[in-house]
Amino acid sequence: MKLRQSLTGWLFMIPFLIVVFAFLIAPLGYALYLSTQADTLVGGQEFVGFENYIFSLTDPIFLEGVKRVFIFGLIQIPIMLFLSTVGALVIDVINTRLSRTFRLIAFMPYAVPGVVAALMWGFLYSESFGPFVGIAESLGAKDFNFFSLKVFIYSISNIVTWAWTGYNMIIIYSALQGLSREVYEAAIVDGATQVQIAIRVKLPAIKNAILLTTIFAIIGTMQIFTEPRILARYTNAVSNGYTPNIYSFNLAFAQSQFNYAAAVSFTLALVVFVVTSIVLAATRRKGRVE
Amino acid sequence: MSVLTRSPKKSGYLAPRSTTANLAMILAIGYFIVPIIWVVVNSTKDNLQLFSTFSLWFGTEWHLMDNLRGLMTQDGGLYLTWFRNTIVYSLASAVGATLISSMAGYSLARFHFKGRSVLEAGILAMVMVPATALVMPTYLMLSKINLVNTPWSVILPSMLSPFGVFLIRVFVQESIPDEILQAARIDRAGEFRIYWQIVLPMLRPALVTVFLFSLVSSWNNYFLPLVMLSENKYYPLTVGLTSWFAQASQEGGNSILFNLVIAGSLIAVVPLIISFIFLQKYWQGGINAGSVK
Amino acid sequence: MIKSKKRIAGFSALALGIILSTTGLSAVTQASAAPVKIKVWAWYPNMKEVVEIFNATHSDVQVEWTNAGAGGDEYTKLKTCIKAKKGCPDVAMIEFQTLPTFAILDPFVDMGKYGATNKDGRYAAWAWAQSTSGTKVNAIPVDGGPMAMLYRKDLFTKNNIKVPTTWAEYKDAAAAIKKVNPDQFIATYGNDSGWATGLMWQNGCTPYKYNMTKSKANVGIKINQAKCKSVINYWGDMVTNKLVDDKSFWATDTGKGYDTGKYWTWVAAGWTPGYLAGQLKDTIGDWAVAPTPQWKAGGDVHGNWGGSSFTVMKQTKQPALATKVAMELYPTQNKITKGSAWDIGLNSAFLYPLVTKVESNPEFAGYTYKIFGDAKVNPIYINASNKLGAFEWTPFQDFVYATMTDETTLAISGKTQWSAVLDTVQAKVVAYAKKQGFKVTE
Repeated sequence: MKLRQSLTGWLFMIPFLIVVFAFLIAPLGYALYLSTQADTLVGGQEFVGFENYIFSLTDPIFLEGVKRVFIFGLIQIPIMLFLSTVGALVIDVINTRLSRTFRLIAFMPYAVPGVVAALMWGFLYSESFGPFVGIAESLGAKDFNFFSLKVFIYSISNIVTWAWTGYNMIIIYSALQGLSREVYEAAIVDGATQVQIAIRVKLPAIKNAILLTTIFAIIGTMQIFTEPRILARYTNAVSNGYTPNIYSFNLAFAQSQFNYAAAVSFTLALVVFVVTSIVLAATRRKGRVE
Repeated sequence: MSVLTRSPKKSGYLAPRSTTANLAMILAIGYFIVPIIWVVVNSTKDNLQLFSTFSLWFGTEWHLMDNLRGLMTQDGGLYLTWFRNTIVYSLASAVGATLISSMAGYSLARFHFKGRSVLEAGILAMVMVPATALVMPTYLMLSKINLVNTPWSVILPSMLSPFGVFLIRVFVQESIPDEILQAARIDRAGEFRIYWQIVLPMLRPALVTVFLFSLVSSWNNYFLPLVMLSENKYYPLTVGLTSWFAQASQEGGNSILFNLVIAGSLIAVVPLIISFIFLQKYWQGGINAGSVK
Repeated sequence: MIKSKKRIAGFSALALGIILSTTGLSAVTQASAAPVKIKVWAWYPNMKEVVEIFNATHSDVQVEWTNAGAGGDEYTKLKTCIKAKKGCPDVAMIEFQTLPTFAILDPFVDMGKYGATNKDGRYAAWAWAQSTSGTKVNAIPVDGGPMAMLYRKDLFTKNNIKVPTTWAEYKDAAAAIKKVNPDQFIATYGNDSGWATGLMWQNGCTPYKYNMTKSKANVGIKINQAKCKSVINYWGDMVTNKLVDDKSFWATDTGKGYDTGKYWTWVAAGWTPGYLAGQLKDTIGDWAVAPTPQWKAGGDVHGNWGGSSFTVMKQTKQPALATKVAMELYPTQNKITKGSAWDIGLNSAFLYPLVTKVESNPEFAGYTYKIFGDAKVNPIYINASNKLGAFEWTPFQDFVYATMTDETTLAISGKTQWSAVLDTVQAKVVAYAKKQGFKVTE
């Protein structure tokens, strides 16, 4: 009986394991293999060990890209999650037609492909198609340009915030809705205000949902590709290695440096893994309250 | 009932009507809806009006039908091909991912076998692997067996859904009691029959959730098809629209393509918005399960 | 360790193959029927009509044309399909500066074997030199990019500013324009490496030496020589003093700027009016062409920006017919008849012909254009093109251009000095070339 159980369990796992093997383990392994080789335009392929990785760690283009997505994440993720959390706390206690409309509209961008979001915002940002430059200039901002080298990163942040705030808000909101009402009762009896309840009672209770959204936001941010690539047409800001993913794409498909591109991909995967693990470990240790 | 539209359950403890909160919500609605309004409004304009009329209101003439007709006929109806490709790729990926995840999730939840705990930890780790880092090596691998620039190169990698396995596992643990399975085994039902005839029907809400999540992520995917496909007859909407956008920019402001890109963006968004308005309740299941732990 | 990784990759590939064969689905094979279909990737603005003409006049072969993107977008797709050994078109349009970058990957059919020749001086000599490596014919030249200055004649006249003939006058005019209207510029520094290279070419700077047939592994790079630097420093000075704008050439807003008076000039290639014409609504007829400003008063030296050719890819099953398509889409014509491929190419796409019989045809010199107020501008381009000397490219021009653009971006944003841009580019390109196994002569 035990053996049969074990066998059946594995049988049901097989399709998934095949896919994992073919499209996760094998590509990672292959990337690892490729990244230890150098395939030069003249010399042909040879084994170089960790040379590509050592090079990537001193490659200013790659490091600049990693730094850029880090800074991007440090600014954009807290803003987005703050807005999502506040939004969720508000619609948790206010139930009007307005709040229901807000809930629905805020979630809508989730159905919009990143490509289309970038195209739409690109049009909105542009001087010839969109209203914002005109509005900014009529408010006194002289020669305002969403695509200038300094402003562009914020223009991208805004697109990402627009696309994901509602989605994260719904995740946090549904965690709030899952809380049992006894949790609040003592606080209400004590005469606490809604704001006090939100901060002292609700926030600690939904920390797992917030952690989940944080992890997904970090993973998404480190991989950012679509928005800058599509809007590169409007601006000089998007350099060869603007983000690690853009760099890896250009290395592979514009410059035929597949081996180095593999090393960059692999390093990126590693960085994401390490960063998310650190965040998980840090919050898990602090969070053992129950 | 759905998390998106139903009333909060603790309606006895509503805050007093707060003007600040209401104002903030109105502002937020405006923010989230502006790009959508822009697309709807501008898909009714021709190229001349696109540049010459106020961009957040309708022009003096109505060109929606012309734009849609142009969309259907430009480059021999290429847009329709892209639309069909998108549907095929995302349906195939979503069906595949759902079936595969349901088997794996069921196995993890209800069978005790050696190595299970390793697999469970592994699945959590897999969720954290950035999908795009896999695209480039996958491309090189598939190119060795002549699979790049085929629909398979987009569909097969999208069937990998560790998060789907995770969701199904949680759902099975919560809602399919072991007793039902034991009873079926005593009736000498085969394991696959149990899965197909008992487990799958009970899993329906979770299946739909996993299906929808996979569907949306393949529908919206850009990086994978961009790398894998080189012929435009295989493109999905995302890659196709960007190629038209590039062409429109290259040909300049008078290019007919700008209004097609805008109308095309509108049409690309409609199916998903409709699907989630009608299938709202299923989103909740996944979102709830996802936020449990 | 490495072996086992390889085996893993191979094994999963095998597993995939099994999955696919058992599902009973395989790639759709196309039934071949006469006439033969030849797939062409090109981004000439007038390709649709040119293909229709070709298909109407040929019964053995028909062209299936795709616009796979302009420049970089198409090259990415080409490199993808070359690497995958699958999915390439039969014929692909490639710019001259990128030909060696592709040639080193060995994707081209030697069209010399299928009748491509320049014995009769059919193509412009400099272009033919760039299209061949040794006796191997990699490409058929189509259009060139001799440079000249496009300018708003009406604005210069109205404000009584002298149309510049030297770069010194160009700077004076830039300052004068800022006085007329602080929101207007003589031009934008579009940070396009091909454009900057064209201007360096004009100044007699030839930074690259590469001859694949002589020695595949030897490359000469001297991008930070004085003749190149002085050009970049000139523009750096203009950008720093806000005498020119710093917006990309290809943004839609920049295109509109040419129509609204924001930009008064554009020193650009022979094909650029074709792009500009698409941007203009209100100022058609207000534009004119003058020779590129000179470094020495009275000089007559010129640069080239871009220009393209047709190549035939090795993946083709029909090398002979593909070569025919490459040669005859824009054919040798003794007379430029109305409605012929070159008539459309010259009129609506503003191509500068590298087919000598078309280039030297008096009809070509006599063409008039609406955006230039029906002026005959081609003699200016013909003169510029005839003054062009030899120019060579590196076999990794994508990298050179990307590095140049990125370093210039840093200088524009004030993070680095303009005077150091080309030194950094030199260092980076040399390091890259060495890493790729080249022997570099600096």
